[in-house]
Amino acid sequence: MFPEIFDVIIVGGGHAGTEAAMASARMGAKTLLLTHNIETLGQMSCNPAIGGIGKGHLVKEIDAMGGVMARAIDKAGIHFRILNASKGPAVRATRAQACRVLYKQTIRRFLEEQPNLTLFQQAADDLIVEQGCVKGVVTQLGLRFYAKTVVLTVGTFLGGIIHIGNTQQEGGRAGDKPSNALAKRLRALPFRVARLKTGTPPRIDGNTLDYTKMLEQAGDTPTPVFSGTGNLSDHPKQVSCYITKTTEKTHDIIRNGLHESPLYTGKIEGIGPRYCPSIEDKVVRFADKNSHQIFVEPEGLDTHEIYPNGISTSLPFHTQIAFVRSIVGFEKAHITRPGYAIEYDFFDPRDLHPWLETKPLQNLFFAGQINGTTGYEEAAAQGLIAGLNAARKAFGQAVWYPRRDQAYMGVLIDDLISRGTQEPYRMFTSRAEYRLLLREDNADLRLTDMARQLGLVNDEQWQSFLSKRTAVENEMKRLSAIWINPSEEMTIQYGQPLTKSVTALDLLRRPGVKYQDVVSLSAVAKSETEITPLVAEQIEIQVKYSGYIVRQEEEIKRQQRQEETVLPENMDFSALSGLSNEVIEKLNKVKPATLGQASRIPGMTPAAVSLLLVYLKKYTYQAKKRA
Amino acid sequence: MSERDTIVAVATPIGRGGVAIIRLSGEASLSIAKELGSGDLTPRVAHYGSFLDENDTVLDLGLFLYFKAPHSFTGEDVVELQCHGGPVVVDRLLQRVVNLGARLAEPGEFSKRAFLNEKLDLTQAEAIADLINSSSLQAAKLAIRSLQGEFAHTIHQFKEKLIELRLYIEGAIDFVDEDIELLNQGNIKNRLEELVHLLQRIQREAKQGHCLQEGVTVVIAGLPNAGKSSLLNALSGRESAIVTDIPGTTRDLLREYIHIDGIPLHIVDTAGLRKTSDKIEKEGVARALTAIVEADQILWVQPVNDKQADPRKAFEELIKSIAKEEVLVEIPPLTVITNKIDLIGESASISKAQDSYHLSEIALSAKTGEGVELLRQHLKALSGYTSDTEGLFLARERHLEAIAEACHALMAAQTEWIATGALELIAECLRQAQLALDRITGVVTSDDLLGEIFSRFCIGK
Repeated sequence: MFPEIFDVIIVGGGHAGTEAAMASARMGAKTLLLTHNIETLGQMSCNPAIGGIGKGHLVKEIDAMGGVMARAIDKAGIHFRILNASKGPAVRATRAQACRVLYKQTIRRFLEEQPNLTLFQQAADDLIVEQGCVKGVVTQLGLRFYAKTVVLTVGTFLGGIIHIGNTQQEGGRAGDKPSNALAKRLRALPFRVARLKTGTPPRIDGNTLDYTKMLEQAGDTPTPVFSGTGNLSDHPKQVSCYITKTTEKTHDIIRNGLHESPLYTGKIEGIGPRYCPSIEDKVVRFADKNSHQIFVEPEGLDTHEIYPNGISTSLPFHTQIAFVRSIVGFEKAHITRPGYAIEYDFFDPRDLHPWLETKPLQNLFFAGQINGTTGYEEAAAQGLIAGLNAARKAFGQAVWYPRRDQAYMGVLIDDLISRGTQEPYRMFTSRAEYRLLLREDNADLRLTDMARQLGLVNDEQWQSFLSKRTAVENEMKRLSAIWINPSEEMTIQYGQPLTKSVTALDLLRRPGVKYQDVVSLSAVAKSETEITPLVAEQIEIQVKYSGYIVRQEEEIKRQQRQEETVLPENMDFSALSGLSNEVIEKLNKVKPATLGQASRIPGMTPAAVSLLLVYLKKYTYQAKKRA
Repeated sequence: MSERDTIVAVATPIGRGGVAIIRLSGEASLSIAKELGSGDLTPRVAHYGSFLDENDTVLDLGLFLYFKAPHSFTGEDVVELQCHGGPVVVDRLLQRVVNLGARLAEPGEFSKRAFLNEKLDLTQAEAIADLINSSSLQAAKLAIRSLQGEFAHTIHQFKEKLIELRLYIEGAIDFVDEDIELLNQGNIKNRLEELVHLLQRIQREAKQGHCLQEGVTVVIAGLPNAGKSSLLNALSGRESAIVTDIPGTTRDLLREYIHIDGIPLHIVDTAGLRKTSDKIEKEGVARALTAIVEADQILWVQPVNDKQADPRKAFEELIKSIAKEEVLVEIPPLTVITNKIDLIGESASISKAQDSYHLSEIALSAKTGEGVELLRQHLKALSGYTSDTEGLFLARERHLEAIAEACHALMAAQTEWIATGALELIAECLRQAQLALDRITGVVTSDDLLGEIFSRFCIGK
């Protein structure tokens, strides 16, 4: 037995494990991070990028709650862009290419410098379970670690099998062993298990590529910054990405190699993501397209290796090399690591509470790919919520989790626990019904206050947040008190003459009018306090979107009562007369925590929700009577 | 469906003439009544006044009755509007109340609220559950029926077009780096315009009642030559059906639309049920079976000189033998008609069923007309019961409400496109339109939409 007893143990040092460990330790819980290899903490196993549409939103939310992902990518990002810049603030998203080595180093430094956090290198083989409660972890060497709560973030390591052509080998990621002992142990516990599949492309030596044949894609200027507390000066040197494409020859080679593809010969059972198909899938399913785009992304500043985004494959190596060399600019390409598909165990997320504790085993939390998600950002978001609640549970405090209208993190978790997933789950903005409220630009306004109360946000971040929030509020108040009369100056500036006096804030509401336009009017003048570009942007968005924001807020209010109506944990849905067998089966599969969650289970009818409400009333009435 | 909304429904059966009661429940009931022109209302005192439309024109004269929370049947503020009973008046008044911010009640919602507010015995949860359930089932059945034919076709066509535009727009938002074909600016404008026009056309048609088949459907069924067609003619007062003494004369469905004291009824005459090798008659029997399944009420006709000992059993066995593997989900309620009493000189009579196991039985002669009035009164009572507050009327009103909402959202999208061109705002308007429409056509989830995008476009870097 290990001499110390912990509050929280985190198993796994990937993106979920990192945020979980950091969150727990920030809250003052005595935390142990157990990893099979300290060298791979913060490793980016797939593409070297953070953020993107929906994903960038998650990163900003993690940042707003004191997490590390945004700060790490600011220090390790070598190419930053704002996607959807022209489409409106809610769907605008930040994305950055990372230098893998820098990212890993940064994460490791954060972990090492974090008070209350202990790192230890040993593979976890078993859980210590007593009477339905998890008490700790047993490592490969037989070391027993005890803690009040345990968070498992084991990624693709559970029963991982790597496929290249017809060959298969066990592995959690190329070059790493899978966690078979733990997988076997978990399969014996009362969880629903299934298999998923994901893939990765071959990596290429950039020195063997002809970039003159490709389209250069530079990062944005000015370079975006991810973290609310970050600075431009955090960024290392910036480099370009390149875009190239497959040819007819590529597609011929792939078609001729399909008989050796484990995907098409039925060797792979796990379901892969629809939005990230392998190149062989794209060639087969979209046979009429004679070319596909490939993004050539640098792997880092200190290496020539590149990541060709768009050609994930599990074809045999000889086919990989042939088709890679048929890509424009790749004629002499040297593959440094073959592409592969990986199959792994995941646990049906419908067995989780919304705070990510498992229903069958108390004090055990799951986060990341083990729950059927894909992506560093999705993993990190779950890690934060699991780490936060593992610590709160260890302290005997009430759990906390975000709602769908508060954060993409809430959408992510609610989707998983209510609907489960058939493919690796990835975030998209279209999954969020309150998309106009859940923007990157207001992640801090949505979450930092709560995160501070939860003990996740340090003084420095809190002060910087407060000054931003106050500046926005004060400036909006000031502008709403200034009246602007119809005048020639206005007509010249906006073409449309004003018909009556309006406030400066109303003027800002007009399409095309910017904050700077309004404050440059003689009647308005500049604010006495400094208005940063972020504050000005925030004011513009809040004013211009106010109609939609108010509408969505009303919608939320209407739903709130359902969201707050908690269903008893042990509710036996089979005993409720009037519900159809189909609905009962669905309810029993999900065991929803609230009436709101129940209403989102696919196939639930409004009448079934009404019935639940009626039975709940009877249940609470009878409970009251007994008391 | 929020518990905080103010809800409205017609509390009386829809007929022609008489008085109809429109009932409101919820926080906004009183303010809506004021907007209608009630003036100040004293609880539990009837106020006579005018119901005004948005231009202060009088829609109807009637009574306002206010019950102050918690002293009302739902425990919330309740206002009852008593107006004249014609469907047009009720329709316009209901529309007006909805425009003032009330929402059409879900099936069983008034009782549900009463229960939740402890106005009903809380141990009776099962009874309330049954009520919600049965009224939802009935509403669903009615909604399907009102959604038949051309109207359903155009609605589904519209839905496809809406989804198509949504998937381009959502695709453009979520998959910006992918080389998917995008809609150019003019295209979005045109498609929005097309959608608005199509939906406005649907709205007009729906308002004119093209989607409405008011009244319950009564199907006349029986063995060949039981006198079914004569019964149809007797009820409709016209010679709609060819009547002969040759079994199997009626080959197709014959439909008549009649009123009994202002209550609308659809009467369907069917081919006599028997196994047959005649191709045309076979088809007629198949159609008869379909009509039977969809009916609200079956008149099971048997000749007095060939009475079955157990008509229900005879009916069910006959259906099973003809329908082969086709299983009937639920056989609609039966009334047994003993026809041709003139043959044995018996007089007309009725014996009403006392419980759900027993069947009502009417002895009559379609040929002489003796006892047909008994049947008419029986049908009136039945349809008055089944059309209740959740009648087809409300099913159609719900559709109109949803279509109006969708229309409003689409026009907002058009305005937004001209004013800002912000794709995410267009997307939000289209989502609102879809949500409204989902109430008619079934839910399209974001995952469905993503699935469409993935199958249409080659996504995946």
